[in-house]
Amino acid sequence: MQGQMQLSLQEEITQFYYREAYLLDHRNYREWLDLLAEDITYVMPLRVTVENKMGSNVNQEMTYFSDTKKDIAMKVERLYMKSAWVDDPAPRQRHFISNVMVEQTGAPDEYKVISYFLFKRSRSSEANTEEIFGEREDLLRKVDGDWKVASRTVYADQSVLTVMNLAMFL
Amino acid sequence: MNLIIEELKQMQGKLEEGYFPQWVVTDPEIYKLEQEKVFSKTWLFLAHESELKESGSYITRMMVDDPILLMKNRKGEIKAFLNSCSHRGTRLCTEDYGNKKAHTCPYHGWTFNLDGELIGIVAGNKVYGEKMDKSEWGLRPVPRVESYQGMIFGNLDPNAMSLEDYLGDMKFYFDIMLGRSDGGMEVRGVPQRWIAKANWKMTAENFAADPYHVQTTHRSATEMKLTPSDPLYASYGHQVVLQNGHGINVITSATGASANKYQGMPEDMWTMFERNLNEKQVEIFSKVTNFVGGVFPNLSFLSSCSGSEGVRHNHLNWRVWRPIGPEKIEIWVWYMIDKALPEEYKEKSYKGFLATFGAAGTLEQDDTENWARIIEASSGTMSRDRTLSYNNMANYLMGFDNVEIDETFPGPGEAYPTCYTDHIARSMHKYWLELMTKESGGEG
Ligand code: FES
Ligand SMILES: [Fe+2]
Repeated sequence: MQGQMQLSLQEEITQFYYREAYLLDHRNYREWLDLLAEDITYVMPLRVTVENKMGSNVNQEMTYFSDTKKDIAMKVERLYMKSAWVDDPAPRQRHFISNVMVEQTGAPDEYKVISYFLFKRSRSSEANTEEIFGEREDLLRKVDGDWKVASRTVYADQSVLTVMNLAMFL
Repeated sequence: MNLIIEELKQMQGKLEEGYFPQWVVTDPEIYKLEQEKVFSKTWLFLAHESELKESGSYITRMMVDDPILLMKNRKGEIKAFLNSCSHRGTRLCTEDYGNKKAHTCPYHGWTFNLDGELIGIVAGNKVYGEKMDKSEWGLRPVPRVESYQGMIFGNLDPNAMSLEDYLGDMKFYFDIMLGRSDGGMEVRGVPQRWIAKANWKMTAENFAADPYHVQTTHRSATEMKLTPSDPLYASYGHQVVLQNGHGINVITSATGASANKYQGMPEDMWTMFERNLNEKQVEIFSKVTNFVGGVFPNLSFLSSCSGSEGVRHNHLNWRVWRPIGPEKIEIWVWYMIDKALPEEYKEKSYKGFLATFGAAGTLEQDDTENWARIIEASSGTMSRDRTLSYNNMANYLMGFDNVEIDETFPGPGEAYPTCYTDHIARSMHKYWLELMTKESGGEG
């Protein structure tokens, strides 16, 4: 019984991520915004190349972004403007989300979820495609029957990003 | 190569008239020549001294294609070497930063100390004879390393003029941005790094010389009511042409002052600024909204104010456009802040920076888009036609014959009373052309 519940939770969360990716890839940014908790912290620290003895190859002091919901909302609104050249004409983008691992937390409605991502983007009629990959560490919260991302930390695997900019949401 | 140099020489007159041929932007031969004539002769930014805190601290950087290792030795001096083992040339240090007393090469185990000296050879006594003199096999130092206001630069040309001479009047403006506070500035964390499709000349020009793009490229900021809708808002103030291809835009406002005195820094710091700067620097600093400019060839900076709810916080960022080909750059962005500022202010300033500049900054995103579009349209036969039958010239005519120097501007340099002018761009490209056509050898 317990096992089955776990499986359905896993399934539910994975489906949530697929839907999230779909919304982003189809530029339904406003709907995507609804998937984020009001108190979300959305952060992307820098991946660095350091010796293993340093313990971590993430530099938390500098980030690429460190956003609250208000900051994200502003970015979302910008992408609907015709003068946000980075999104008009729109590049084509795909978020591939996999390796979803769900962990219990102290709170009954909150789960820590690790997922892997591969983001690919094609802009203009260019043959080269851009990509960025790594993992995300989320706190997911169930609010009135709906999942919300309560926090997300994005760890890219590249220390030198091979995307022209971080206009996308990861 | 000689042919190219001849062609470039013929451009001289054109450039002075405000024309710059589109083909030189991305031409592969030009790119090769730039490595030899520009990047091997000029001062390239390596690091800020705050990035190397204690003895043994090290960081790795690139001077175009040369990997560089900077280390702080026991005496507290920062030295820079080619990051290549003197035995067989292996890259010695592969990390971005760290701390150690000595660096050991992973190939055969030679060890170098913080002064770059070879101090350990595996089985040295047993395998090497008399010909091997350890003292001759240290790391190869960058020929010249000098610093100003904590900014460390390297130069591959042993005969180059001193860094201070090279910076010239830019020092006056560096003092304002870097020397205003007791305790100086510090880099937060490490620089952001990413790859963009762009040519280094155009990105350098974008920061040093081009407030004219702001209104259009960054129109979304206006639409979001983050910046004024007046199409001239980025033009108010002075564009200042400095020696050796450097330049700075001192942007104010329609009234000639800023709504945020001293770029919105706390009032209790003002007397400190006034003590650390001279009268002319104080006059400029108290009125400026944004400083944006560049040190030739590929260091740029922006000191601006961002924030919503009427409260604006100053932030300063430096960037190196490291060329990795005629059509590609690696962007390095350092965020720097006055050590003396309160923590709370620093945090808000940092957030303001992230929101606007850096890889995820909304303003920078649209810049990268336009830089890529220059590449996309500059590589074909028509845009590279050398016979000029299509008049393949990019337009640098702005302010050519309708803007005069403002002698009343308090700072050094040739100051023009608007930032919508191509004076710095013409001067940058003129200096570039001088270097590109200079005969090699002899006195640098
Ligand atoms: S190459 Fe470094 S020790 Fe041989
Ligand atoms: Fe810009």
